[in-house]
Amino acid sequence: MIEFELNGERVRTDDAPDTPLLWVIRDSFKLKGSKYGCGAGLCGACTMHVDGQAARTCVLPVGAVVGKSITTIEGLGTPDDLHPVQKSWVENSVPQCGYCQSGQIMSAAALLATNANPSESEVDAAMAGNICRCGCYPRIKEAILAVAGEVQQFDPASTQEVTS
Amino acid sequence: MSTLNYSRRGFLRAAGVTGGGLVVGFSLSGCSAPGAAFDPKAGALVPNSFVQITPDNQILFYCPRDEMGQGVTTGLTTLVAEDLDVDPAAFTVELAGAHPDYVNPDFGAQGTGGSTSIKAHYWQLRQVGADTRALILDAAAQDLGVARNSLSTDNGHVISGGERHPYGKFVATAASLEVPVETPLKAASEFNYIGTDFTRLDGVSKSTGTAIYGIDVDVPGMLHGVIQRSPVAGAMVESFDASAARNMPGVIDVVQVATGVAAVAEKYWQAKQAAAQIKIQWSTPPLASVSHAQMLEDYKAGLAEEGESAASQGDVATALASATKTIDTQYFAPYLAHAPMEPMNAVVHVRDGEADVWTGSQGPGAVQGLVARFADLEMENVRSHQTYLGGAFGRRATLHHVIEATQLSMATNKPVQVLWSREDDTKSGVFRPASLMNIKAGIDDNGKVSAWQVKRVGGNITPETLKNALPGFFPGLPNGVIDWVVGMSNSAFDGWVVDYSSIEGFSEDYDLPNHDILHVTKDHGLPLTFWRSVGHSYTAFAKETAMDELAALAEQDPVQFRIDNLENNPRLRNVVKVAGEHMQKMQPAPGRALGLAAHGSFNSYVAEVAEVSIEKGQIKVHSVLCVVDCGVAINPDIVKAQMEGSVMYGLTAALHGHMELDNGEIKQSNFHDYPILRMNEAPRVDVVIIESQEDPTGVGEPGLPPIAPAVANAVYHATGQRLRDLPLKLA
Repeated sequence: MIEFELNGERVRTDDAPDTPLLWVIRDSFKLKGSKYGCGAGLCGACTMHVDGQAARTCVLPVGAVVGKSITTIEGLGTPDDLHPVQKSWVENSVPQCGYCQSGQIMSAAALLATNANPSESEVDAAMAGNICRCGCYPRIKEAILAVAGEVQQFDPASTQEVTS
Repeated sequence: MSTLNYSRRGFLRAAGVTGGGLVVGFSLSGCSAPGAAFDPKAGALVPNSFVQITPDNQILFYCPRDEMGQGVTTGLTTLVAEDLDVDPAAFTVELAGAHPDYVNPDFGAQGTGGSTSIKAHYWQLRQVGADTRALILDAAAQDLGVARNSLSTDNGHVISGGERHPYGKFVATAASLEVPVETPLKAASEFNYIGTDFTRLDGVSKSTGTAIYGIDVDVPGMLHGVIQRSPVAGAMVESFDASAARNMPGVIDVVQVATGVAAVAEKYWQAKQAAAQIKIQWSTPPLASVSHAQMLEDYKAGLAEEGESAASQGDVATALASATKTIDTQYFAPYLAHAPMEPMNAVVHVRDGEADVWTGSQGPGAVQGLVARFADLEMENVRSHQTYLGGAFGRRATLHHVIEATQLSMATNKPVQVLWSREDDTKSGVFRPASLMNIKAGIDDNGKVSAWQVKRVGGNITPETLKNALPGFFPGLPNGVIDWVVGMSNSAFDGWVVDYSSIEGFSEDYDLPNHDILHVTKDHGLPLTFWRSVGHSYTAFAKETAMDELAALAEQDPVQFRIDNLENNPRLRNVVKVAGEHMQKMQPAPGRALGLAAHGSFNSYVAEVAEVSIEKGQIKVHSVLCVVDCGVAINPDIVKAQMEGSVMYGLTAALHGHMELDNGEIKQSNFHDYPILRMNEAPRVDVVIIESQEDPTGVGEPGLPPIAPAVANAVYHATGQRLRDLPLKLA
C-alpha cells in the first residue's frame, strides 16, 4: 500500500509501485485532468506538482512519491475558483484543443511560484518541456507574463511530510 | 429516419415542447435514442435540432461540428447568438451526437474538416437564430397582449415598454405556434457579436482540466485494451503466443482484433504491460521491402514518366521554348504524422442489441456507422457520444480505434476503452503523403510567368481515406462492394483521372496562361490521408519557392513579381500587397532576412512574411507576419489564433517534420525523433485580418501552406542557399 497526499488529502493505493503516477491518478483516483501524451516524459501533458515542483508523471513510478505532496490541475483551481494562472489562460483565450493545457498550466504555475517575474527567456526555458501541437505558444507566453507577480510564492516549509 | 432540408429557405416548420408536452415535426424524436444526438430538457422549447430554450431561460445550442481546437463551438454559437439576440457567453453548448440533421452542408455527411464549418453553417445557423427569435416574439406578443412591432429583444430578453421578460417565459405559448421561416436577418451594421472579440466559450473548462476528451470517458465496469500492432502497415497476424500476457496482473483476456492482438485488463497500465508480452508472427506485405532510399529512387524514376494531366491551359511547350529565362527544379516533401496531443482512443459498450460509443472524432456519424457495422446492429441502436477532440488535423477522420474497441467490447461483453500509445500514433496511423515535385517554368520579357509545368510523384490521398470512411458512412455496404469501390478509386487515380486532393494548389493562384499539371502515382502502400491543409501543405512549398526563384531570375522584387502575376486573383493580390507594405516597414536586425509566400486555400487567401537568421548553422525564425482574407471574421481573435497555430504547425513541418520508411516500418516513434516545435523555437506572430463583407471562409488550414516557403525564401535571402527539400536543412 502506497500513501501520499493528493490535492491536500491523504490517500493510499494498492497499484503496483512501478505504475506511473499519471495512471494511478487517472485510473484509480479518477482525476482525468492530467493527460497522457507520450509516455516518455517528452511532452509535459502529464505535468503535476510533486512537493511544489513540476514533474512528468507518465515516467514517475508511484512508488517514488511515497509521503510526498501531489497537486494536479484539479487541486490548483476550479471553474468557480480559478488560480491566477488559469484566469490568465481564460482571459487570453490560450487553449485551442486544450488537451495539453493542464500540463502547460501546471508548469507555468510552478515557474511563477518560484520566480515571480520571469524574463521571456526564463519562460522559454521553463516551458520548453511542454508541447502544444495547436501552437498556442505566443498566448501561453503572453498569459504567463500577464500574471507575473500575482502568484503566491512557493514555501518549501509548507510541504508536510506524510508518514505511511 | 427522416432527412430534413436545412437550406436557408427550408427550415423546420413547427415548434414543440418536450417533457410531456407537444412535440411536432421534430425529426430527432423517432430516430435516435435520447442522450446521444440531442437531449431534450423538461418543458423546453425545441424549435429545431440546434436550439432549446427552457422555462428558466437556459439557452442550449447543439453544436453540429466537432471541436478540435479550431474554435467551432464559439464560432457557431456566435452565428446562432447574433440573430437570436443572446450573448454567446449565455449559451450552454452541447456537442451534438450522430444524426442527419447535423450534416455538414458542404459535405452532405456529418463530418468536420476542410476548414468548412463557419462557411457551411453561416447562413443556416443565423437563420435558425432569426426564426427562433421571431417565434419568441410571436409568443410574447400573444402572452403580453401587445402589438408585436412594439417589442424588441436584448440578450435573451423581450423588451416591452420598460419591462424585460426572459425568453423562457414564453416557451409554452411558443410551442403552440408555427415556427416562422425566412425571417429577415440582421444587417452587418446591426451585429453585436459577429466581428467582435470575446474569450472562447471553452476556455474555462480547458483551463481547469474539466473539459472531457475521449480518453477521459470512464463508464462503470470499463476495461482497458492495449493493442500490439504490426510494425509494417498492412501486415496481418499469422499466429501469436499470449501465454505470458495472460498471466500478468489484471489481465482479463487476450483478443485478436482487425489491427493486431489486444491485451484487455482492469487498468490501462496493466494492459499496456501485458500487450508488450504478446509474441506475434506477422505476414510480410509488399511494403515490408521498401525503405527510404528505394522510395526516393522510385519517385525519381516517376519524374521520367509522362503522367496523367490534371489541369492544362495554353501551350506550355511553345511557351517554355520562347521564354526569356527558365527554371527546372525539384522539391521534396516527406511523409508526416499528424501527432495530435491526444492519441487515438474510444470507449465502446455493446450489449443486448444496442451499443454506446464515446470518442472525439471528425465524424460522429461514421463512428455510429462503424459500431453498427462491426457489431451487426441497426444504426438507430447505436448512440454516438461526441467529446472534445485533443487535436485532430485530419487524423480523427480515420477511426480504426472505434473498430478495435467494438471488437473488444463484443469479445468481453464489457465496455472497453482502447488507447493508442504515442508510438502507435507515430508509426501505425495514417500519413501525409510524401511528394517529389518537378517545376519547369519560364518568364517572358515582361516578367510574367509565361510557362508553368508541374509534375508531382507520390501516393494518392483520397482512396485510402475512402476505404476508411465508406464502412462508417454506409455500414450496410458489404465488404466486397467497399473493396470494389476502393479498388475502382485506386485504379481511377492511377491511370484515368488525378486525385485533386493530391495536386490542389499548384495552378489555381497565379495567372499562368500556359500551364500543365501532371501526376504520376507511386504508392508503396503506406496508408495516406488528409493532413492539415492536405495537398496545399506541399504544393504551396514547391509553387511559392519556384515563384521566388523566378522573381530572382527576373531580377524583380518578389512582392511586385507576385502582384504582376495575380491580375486575375484580386483577393490574393491584395493580401500580397498588404504584406508587402508591412514588409517595407519591417527592419530586420543585421544577420536577419525576410521571405514572403502567399497561397489561396479553402476559399481564403493568406500571405506570410518570415524573419529568419542562421544561428550555429540552424534556421531560427524570429517573427512571422500573416495577412489573411477570410471574408467576415466571425471572431477575429479566433482567426488570429488559427493563424498563429497554423504557423506553428507549419513550422514544425518546415523545420523538423521528417519520417522515413525502413523495411516498411516508420523509423520515427515518439517526440524525441519526431520533434514538434517548442516554446523556445516559437516566433512572434502578427496577424492582419483584411476587412471584408464577403461571406466567411476557412481559417483552420489556410494559414499553414505559406509558412514553409516563406521561411525557405527568407533563408535564400539570408544565405543565397535555395532549400528545396522539406524539412529545411542548410547545406
